[in-house]
Amino acid sequence: MTAPIRIQGFTTEVLRWQPWLEGVALDSATPEQLAALDAMSPQARSSPYFLLLAHQPEILLQRSIAFNAIMFAPGGMPRAERELGATVESRLNGCVYCASVHAQRFQQLARRSDVIEQVFEEPGSAGTTPREQAIVRFSMRLAEKPDEVSAEDIRALREVGLAEQEILDLIHSVALFAWANRLMLNLGEPIFPEDSASEAAGA
Amino acid sequence: MTSAPTPSTPTDLIDRLIPLAPGRSTWQIRHERPKVVEATQGSYEALFSPAVEGLTVTERLLVALHACRIGRADAFGDHYRERLLAEDAEASLVDTVDRGEIASLRDPRLACLLGFTATLMRRPLDGDRAAVQALRDAGLSTPAIVALAQLVAFLSYQVRLAAGLKAMSDAEVAA
Repeated sequence: MTAPIRIQGFTTEVLRWQPWLEGVALDSATPEQLAALDAMSPQARSSPYFLLLAHQPEILLQRSIAFNAIMFAPGGMPRAERELGATVESRLNGCVYCASVHAQRFQQLARRSDVIEQVFEEPGSAGTTPREQAIVRFSMRLAEKPDEVSAEDIRALREVGLAEQEILDLIHSVALFAWANRLMLNLGEPIFPEDSASEAAGA
Repeated sequence: MTSAPTPSTPTDLIDRLIPLAPGRSTWQIRHERPKVVEATQGSYEALFSPAVEGLTVTERLLVALHACRIGRADAFGDHYRERLLAEDAEASLVDTVDRGEIASLRDPRLACLLGFTATLMRRPLDGDRAAVQALRDAGLSTPAIVALAQLVAFLSYQVRLAAGLKAMSDAEVAA
């Protein structure tokens, strides 16, 4: 296990997240709320974030289906690159929690951290290959100036070899994290390991 | 001449507003991810459902209109405006929100909702605990605050998804 990256306030450490509002209590959750949690992941029943979102079960259910289809569906863009798009969007929005989770997933899938360090340091110049640079650049355009994204931006992705299905998967991933970051940033806050040393270490 | 709606997605909002039609390659590629198409439409329908308590449908549509004007997503802004007028929302209120004149609103609850919306759309990092408390003080329940945050966050997704698909569609024509 290599040491976690800590650059510009971003990190690949495992963080926790604390909501500013009370989530649903599991023992009084309705069948609809439990179904929405289970559609997200087997761990969602113990996540303060998903228990908060369970206050609106139909909205959570639809979001869970979209999330899993965008990040995990087979074919199309390699999953590591979808995680890279998610990490770039999270870095630009300043969502330290999302950036940590998805940078770690990139590391697990790609078995390297070089581009994560670059994205944390300065996203504008990040990317270890022309393909990766194009992915990062497009992710930034869609994150920051969606109304200016044009056919030219799509052609730049094609020129480095992205197929149309891969381009769609990248659009989905960046757009999805425009959604996720806003929930994480506005309904609670990350907790760093040193803040929670007295609680379950390494949780 | 009218064309029949496609059987699989007769009312898909994003396909309709971009527009993307069956037979176009961008439509084809999009529909090779059918779960994403269905859950995107399903999210839109859930977020504006009358079954969501604590925020009126009109309040949610005003949030969407304001968000799309901030995001410069014209087709979506126009769509939410049409829905507001179809819901019999007060026309002068719709115009005020359409022009972004939030400071002149007389309803403090609505001003609070739209202020929260603007922060989330423009710079979500600026959102904080005090903003959530302001929503509570304006009378919103926890489920209503979750619905509002999900709505604005979803609109940020919808705007980017549509912008990306539109660019793909334009690149297809120019190829």
